[in-house]
Amino acid sequence: MHELGLSRSIAAIVTENSMGRQVRRVSVAVGPLACVEKRALAFCWDIVTEGGPLAGSLLEFVDAEGDVFLVKEFEFEEAA
Amino acid sequence: MCGTCGCSDPMNSVTIEDAKTGERRVLREGGILKHNEHEPHHHHSDHEHSHEGDDRPHVHGPNGEIISLEAAVMSKNDAIAAQNRGWFEGRRVLALNLVSSPGAGKTSLLEYTIRNFSKDHPIAVIEGDQMTANDAERVRDAGAQAVQINTGAGCHLEADMIAEAVKSLELEAGAVLMIENVGNLVCPSMFDLGERMKIAVISVTEGEDKPLKYPHMFRASKCVLINKVDIAEAVEFDETQCRENILSVNPEAKILALSAKTGEGTAKWFEFLTELCES
Repeated sequence: MHELGLSRSIAAIVTENSMGRQVRRVSVAVGPLACVEKRALAFCWDIVTEGGPLAGSLLEFVDAEGDVFLVKEFEFEEAA
Repeated sequence: MCGTCGCSDPMNSVTIEDAKTGERRVLREGGILKHNEHEPHHHHSDHEHSHEGDDRPHVHGPNGEIISLEAAVMSKNDAIAAQNRGWFEGRRVLALNLVSSPGAGKTSLLEYTIRNFSKDHPIAVIEGDQMTANDAERVRDAGAQAVQINTGAGCHLEADMIAEAVKSLELEAGAVLMIENVGNLVCPSMFDLGERMKIAVISVTEGEDKPLKYPHMFRASKCVLINKVDIAEAVEFDETQCRENILSVNPEAKILALSAKTGEGTAKWFEFLTELCES
């Protein structure tokens, strides 16, 4: 449900904090009661990040408790 | 795109119709990537991101480093919802978020309530539907102010849409603001709009096990209205079983059975509404 909007929110939070630099990986904590379908979220991620500094980044999931739904951390791409 | 509800058609935008002028304007533009372009890009200094009470060490170096955020994904919606809640409380407006599957009778219940509830508490309505202003028109015909929000492909209302919609309503102290969410038992459960409580409407034709099939919504609603009890017998609806199912996912739920058509059971609903208005 509504995973497209949630992907956008995650992308907005990371974009605000990554200052335009390339991001390699974003880690999201999802609890079983958060009503979030991980596969749908991962599918939407590629679409919402296309063409920006988050393009090609990996969205990974960490198990959490209850209704937790957080952007835990992200990792920058190493500059060449 | 969105695997479950299809809320991702990039051609669709969210529109709102003014309560007085009937003028329609765009609240959010359609298009997936366009949406992000509206987000301002701030360039923060080192420590402006939120740690939300988490002070684990994390690095801010130049290369391939990891940034710890611990930022709630729903934080933007929740912050606007909190503002809405303060706005309602400050004006002594009772805001209720009506949720149900399509066709459970939310609009009929609103029409009945507008026509018959105490005139001490005028009712205003925000209508959420994917398309058409039909529901707002029905509610206006019943005698209430109404704003229609069309979510396009969207499957639920969000807090910023409510913040915008209340601007075109005139809400006096003691008023009741009924927010009729998009007919959907899944997505709206997750989005706080700033309401006092969610009220779920289930109709007797939907079957007694609806609360078990969609537990999140019934858990998120403090009150459940069982509608269309006038035809309960014809569809062999087992009210006792339905009540048990509701209580099994939400032991605290207040349950009222009524018919928005015949008015059966609505005295208790009005009693409950009055209680909420005065608390």
